[in-house]
Amino acid sequence: MITLRGLTKRFGATVAVDALTVDIAPGRVTGFLGPNGAGKSTTMRMILGLDRPSAGQALVGGRAYRELRRPLHEVGALLDARAIHPTRSGRAHLLAMARSNGIPTRRVDEVLDTVGLDARAARKPGRTLSLGMGQRLGIAGALLGDPPVLMFDEPVNGLDPDGVRWVRQLMRSLADQGRTVFVSSHLMSEMQLTADQLVVIGRGRLLADAPIAEVIAGSAVAVRVRSPHPDGLAALAARLTAAGADVQAADRNEMTVTGTTADRVGDLAHELGVRLHELSPHSASLEQAFMELTADSLEYAGGPTKGGVR
Amino acid sequence: MNIDTTPTARPALLRSAVAAEWTKLSSVRTTWWTALAGLVVMAGTAAQVAIYALVANTNDDPADDRGIVTVGSVLIDSVELTQYVVLALGLLAITAEFTGGTIRTTLQCTPSRGRVLLAKAAVAGAVTFALGLVLGGVGALVARLVLGEWSSSPVAGTIGDIVAVAAYLTLVGVLALGLGAALRGAVLTITVLLATLMIVPLSLQEPDIDVLNRIADVFPGVAGAHFLAGDTEPYPRLVGLLLLAAWAGTALLLGRAALRRRDA
Repeated sequence: MITLRGLTKRFGATVAVDALTVDIAPGRVTGFLGPNGAGKSTTMRMILGLDRPSAGQALVGGRAYRELRRPLHEVGALLDARAIHPTRSGRAHLLAMARSNGIPTRRVDEVLDTVGLDARAARKPGRTLSLGMGQRLGIAGALLGDPPVLMFDEPVNGLDPDGVRWVRQLMRSLADQGRTVFVSSHLMSEMQLTADQLVVIGRGRLLADAPIAEVIAGSAVAVRVRSPHPDGLAALAARLTAAGADVQAADRNEMTVTGTTADRVGDLAHELGVRLHELSPHSASLEQAFMELTADSLEYAGGPTKGGVR
Repeated sequence: MNIDTTPTARPALLRSAVAAEWTKLSSVRTTWWTALAGLVVMAGTAAQVAIYALVANTNDDPADDRGIVTVGSVLIDSVELTQYVVLALGLLAITAEFTGGTIRTTLQCTPSRGRVLLAKAAVAGAVTFALGLVLGGVGALVARLVLGEWSSSPVAGTIGDIVAVAAYLTLVGVLALGLGAALRGAVLTITVLLATLMIVPLSLQEPDIDVLNRIADVFPGVAGAHFLAGDTEPYPRLVGLLLLAAWAGTALLLGRAALRRRDA
């Protein structure tokens, strides 16, 4: 269980994380979504006691991370797959982690085996590891202490399709074992396949905290309408707008309608005697839902920024 | 999941942190290159210092004769340069972690900032001390070979000098570690170290004004030099050692404060 209460981080005048209050529950995969710079990594660093919150608190199993004595047994985390010394081998990197928390050496070989790094790859110096191997090594580090809470920041970055599938299965099985699994990603399609619960943030603020199905259902269904008669289509658009639907014309012969159903559009077209060549509902994907949720928080993305957000 | 049964008493936690730091220090090439570079610089500098003494004794000018020279004194003169190589052990133990981002992994494993620094100080300090003993032995040997009949190497005195050199290098290494934790960057830390160990005290001593000399005597490099030389003025050699240790300790406290306060 991860508990965030009014968690806030300011860098100068910039608010990177804004009064985040969320519970991340055990036994399921919670996806952590947000555009770049939304504050995902900062939030994770605060949970790990690396960044100091400006206000509020982040607790793991009811305790602040900095109070944990052998934290690898409580929380495993992959933050940055690139963070390994250029001349230290992957195995030595894990060995140092294990020693720091009183974890036996045999466990290092176990997790290396779990993530599919063979003895040769594990002996290679850090700078020669590919991003994919770095990710596997980072995941191995997270698993070292067999912790009930796991956090992964963009774990599928740099992995090949096989690796992506493997990570997906791993998250699933970790959650099925009753662990708390908190995964950030900018890959919405990936989240759609892996996550049970979604926490969406934009510009540091909580936009959604709901089961994934609910987030998708909450987003508007779009209906594509195509007609060989531009005038008829315009008339239909006017009627739909009057009825409260949102119409966006693609060109003279095609438009996209949201805020109503395909049935209703068909009925109106029939009423007006407009001939249609296409009337197709498009069920929302997580991607769409995400775009809608974060639309406001992205509006300023192109504008001037005050100071940097890490 | 599993119930953690490993002991979590403070000494056990520190032992674990020390084991981790040793694993880290011994698994990077820099450590061994530093040791090798230290050996080369020590041997080279000791040879040079010894040759100067030899030339002074054997040239036509009787005014600069130094007579029999103890190998320990050659050793102590050689440390002035060698220290800048050896302090890399303490310095890189922390600054390399900032550069590579591994400091986050380290603090994830051991959230107590003080414990991390203490463990680093123990490991870098122990390794530097051991290396210091080897360097002292090598320096003494080179001095003796070069000086030949002009050398004197009383067993007790020479061993005492070697141990003193190792202790001096250890404390300078810990000073570098603490400053590195506070300042983060290796280059900035080296600059500040050069200033504190050499440039500032030398500038203070330059005009040879009593008050300024007194101030210079408090600086770590000067205090260390008084300790190594076995001076009784301006203070007993033990005070020199304690002054240097106080600098190292203060640097560690500064480093801990910075690690606690700043985001990793």
